[in-house]
Parts: sequence; C-alpha cells; structure tokens
Amino acid sequence: SVAEIRAGFTAIKANIQSRDPIRSLSILSHPHSLHKVKSSDRCCITHHLFSFYVDKVFKHCRTEDSFVNRKISSIANSFLSLRRRLGQCHEQNNCVCGEESTEKFKQILANYEGLNVTSAAMKSLGELDILLDWMEKSH
Amino acid sequence: DALLPAPQSISILSTNMKHFLTWSPVIVQGATVRYSVEFQGEYEREHANGSWIPISECSLTTATVCNITQDISATVAYKLRVRAELGATRSPWGTTKGFFNSTMTSLTPPLLRVVADGHHLLVELADMGPSFQFRVLYWKKGQEGRVQQKVMKEVNSVVHLDTMEAGAEYCVKAQTHVEAINRSSSFSPTQCVRAQGDKSMWLV
Amino acid sequence: SGELYCSLPNPRNVHFESTNMRNVLHWSVPEGTGDGVLYKVKYAVYGVGKWIRKPECRNINRTWCDLSSETSDYEEQYYASVKAFLNGTCSAWVETTRFNPLTDTKIDPPMVSVSSTDKSISIILTAPEKWKRSPEEGSISLLQVYPGLQYNVSVLNKKTKKRWFFSISNNTLVVPWLEPGTAYCVSAQIHVTTPLLDSGFSKEHCIATLKDK
Repeated sequence: SVAEIRAGFTAIKANIQSRDPIRSLSILSHPHSLHKVKSSDRCCITHHLFSFYVDKVFKHCRTEDSFVNRKISSIANSFLSLRRRLGQCHEQNNCVCGEESTEKFKQILANYEGLNVTSAAMKSLGELDILLDWMEKSH
Repeated sequence: DALLPAPQSISILSTNMKHFLTWSPVIVQGATVRYSVEFQGEYEREHANGSWIPISECSLTTATVCNITQDISATVAYKLRVRAELGATRSPWGTTKGFFNSTMTSLTPPLLRVVADGHHLLVELADMGPSFQFRVLYWKKGQEGRVQQKVMKEVNSVVHLDTMEAGAEYCVKAQTHVEAINRSSSFSPTQCVRAQGDKSMWLV
Repeated sequence: SGELYCSLPNPRNVHFESTNMRNVLHWSVPEGTGDGVLYKVKYAVYGVGKWIRKPECRNINRTWCDLSSETSDYEEQYYASVKAFLNGTCSAWVETTRFNPLTDTKIDPPMVSVSSTDKSISIILTAPEKWKRSPEEGSISLLQVYPGLQYNVSVLNKKTKKRWFFSISNNTLVVPWLEPGTAYCVSAQIHVTTPLLDSGFSKEHCIATLKDK
C-alpha cells in the first residue's frame, strides 16, 4: 500500500537524496508540476508513473548499502502490487489517457533521458515523496 | 561444498503479519554451522534478472530461524532461500517450496478488554503493529439486531466507545483488519458489561 | 565580487527547523571561531536550482534566518545554504539536505476550548494555521493542507484518575453522562496518517461539571 511505500522511502530518503547532487533538474516536478494535472488525467499519469518506476528506475538503484537495497526492494515490490490494482482500472477503461497527461509523461521521460541512467534513476527514486505527496493529496 | 548438505524442512511461519523463516539444523559433529538467508520478491524475479537480496540480520547466524517481516512488506509472491556455512565451505541453497505472500498470514482475534465506567462503554485493545485496524461491534443486550460498529487504530489506551442507558447491559466483540491484505481475523469472544444506574428509572 | 580565499571553518549543522510550515534555517557557529562571525544565506527551489540570495540575511551575526516566505509553496522542495565571514576570510557554502515543507514540518497541538453543564463537557478543537506572511493575509488551516487530519482527545476524571481516549475527525466532541461537581482535564493531539505526522498533546484544560441542582 501507499503507506508501506511512504514508510520505506522515509527510511532511506536522506541516503538516496544525498546521492543526487543536481539541484537544478527535477524528473517529476519541473518544468511542469504534477499538481497541475487535471483530475481526469490522474489515473492515467499514476499508471504511467508506476510502470516508469518499475520498468526503468528501480533496476538502476542498486547501492553498496544492504539496508538501502532491502528498502528499495520493498518499495519496488509494493509498486508492483499497486500497479496491478491500477491495472484493473485500466482494463475497466476508466483510466483514460488525455492529451495533457500524455504530454506530461513525455516531459518526464525527456527529463529522465537527459541524464545518465544511474543519475536519472537515483534522482527519480529521491523524488518519490513528490509522487506520494501528489497521490495522497489528489486521490 | 558437497560435504555440507543444504538445510532441510524450510518453512515460513506467519501470524498477524509477522513472518519467520525456519529450517532444520545441519549437524556437523564438533563444529558450529552458520546460516545465511536471502529473499526474492516478484520484482526481483520479473524485473531484476532473478536476483536475490541478503538479509543482513540473518547472515552467518547460528540460529535456525530468521525474522523476515521487514523484507516481506509488499503483497506480492516471495521466495526465500537459506544455506549452511562452515568456515569457507558453503552448502547448496535450500529454497522454500512455492511462494509466500503476506496475504497468507494467519490472523488471530484481538485481545480486548471491555470496561463500563458509569454510563460509558470503554474498550482497550492490545497493540498488534502498524498494519492493524480494529473493527469493534457493540450492541445493547436483547437488541442483537441493532449492532453498532467503530473502526479504530488506537491501542494500549482506554478508548471511549459510546454512552449507555442506565442499568442496561451492553456486549462487545472485535476483529482485526489488515488493509494491506484486505483480510480480517475472526471475532474475539463477546464480553458484556452493565451500565451504572437503575433500569427502572427509564420505565417511569 | 570575487570570492575571497575561503579558509574559515564551515558553519555546522545547517538545517531547516519547521513548525506549522514556518520554515527557519538554523546553523551552528563554525568551530573555533569566537565572536564577530557574519553570515549570508541563499536558497534554491529544487528542480530550478538557481540560487537566490536572501537580502534580510546578508552580513548577519545571528545563526538563523527565516525563509518561510521563500518556501511557502509546499508543493515545491528547497535547498538553503550559508557562508561565514570573519576578518576578511570566509568559509565555503554549506547546504541543507533537500527540504520538503509538507513532510518535514512539525505540527503544533490543536487549541482546546472546553465548557460544561452539570453532566457533560463540550470540547471544541482548532487546528493550527499554516504560517502566513502577515496577519492581513488569508488564513489557511492545516486541515486544508492535510485532509486526513484527525484529533486524538484525552479526558481525565480527576476524582477517579481514569483517562479515556477519543479519536474524532470533526473538531467538536460532547461527553455526556458525567458526574456532577467533578473536575475533568482535557488535552488533544493532531494525527495525520499520510504523511505520518503527529503533534504533541496540548496542555491540559481542566473544567468542573456543575453541581447537581
């Protein structure tokens, strides 16, 4: 559940964010903030973001710290089970992707591809609270 | 390595969202055998080339049990494995048969204490961990058809449930609910208490 | 102006202290430096990254700087940095970790007001307000910032010494059927489930139920 992800992330937030020295770039929040996404697009963006983290991010976040690796595993597996639940929305077709959310997600991928893969993955992991804050506020 | 057999009888004991891996000891006369445990979630299997993650608290341990609760935190299918180690010699891995998912945990009814304090119906519930909520049902004896419910998370403190009619008897029972796995325990035994005051006062 | 040769030890423990989203940067004096050290402060929005100087905290000798105004948008995250100066030399800039006003703030207990009749007490709770630039500015209750906000209320019967707890989502609670002429002490706490934030309990407000007529 989201609470498990939040707890896992809080435990490693300082460690992960300290591995990201780039202050002037964000994957999720600039130039377009998630908070500006229309409510009708939220389900689609959330589904896209869960797949983004599962397929692209977590695999490049291995560290030398066993505790951090275990928490990342816990978060990644929680993402899997949440994505499965979101997938059910997708199948029931009430998770429609509008033009705006498609555009927003393209921007996120462009931000991600603008960095080398390890930096991009670690930065994305360090921004999990941005995703969680938005999800909790808007859902 | 063939000299050291893999641990046998590997199983997971899981109650109230607390999960433990256990196995039979590998006996080597006059030597202390140690064990190391690793886990693999669905993510590692499907998206990280089947990688395994060591549990540091259970690396080179002499115990034959390992608390895996912290690592089995998502509701997906996990595999666990353990091997024996003696000096530089390592046994093959012994792996759990089938998968374990926290939805398989067994849930026991909560420990409930019901108190009547004057006209007030109060309950105290024992702490079972952050994943737990408590569904408390209560009714006035004789009105079993009018059951009321409260969902609570407060533990280890006397929590106010409701006010009672003078002299009336009220009954309470509770079950746990774990939102993450969307399952509930069976109910605790029912406990009944009587409100202070004279019942006849109500008949006037 | 060109940066001086910076051999001064760095300010230490540079961090945000935040309560109800009043976000104040704090630091400790560089090791081994006596009086006379001056500081300047800058901050940046994460994802934008451009450092912005804080004029009101330029050449100050205190070891804090209120950045509430600059960090009031809690949908953003921030960094801040401090540099020390003494006798013509300076330290390096020392940065905070990434600051998230929404999850990294502390919450004050709610305000509690209590009234009584002979057999009941009524409790009204008020969640603290988010910090605001000036009294004239519109108030935002933390209830609006944290929609899942709840209250835990403790009611102590001073005669029997028994303490009861209530967990409520709205801000009023009436406890009926109490003993006349008895003192009850009430305190309350704010509880937010996600992100997990709890205030402390407020100080106790005691009141006696009226004596039986």
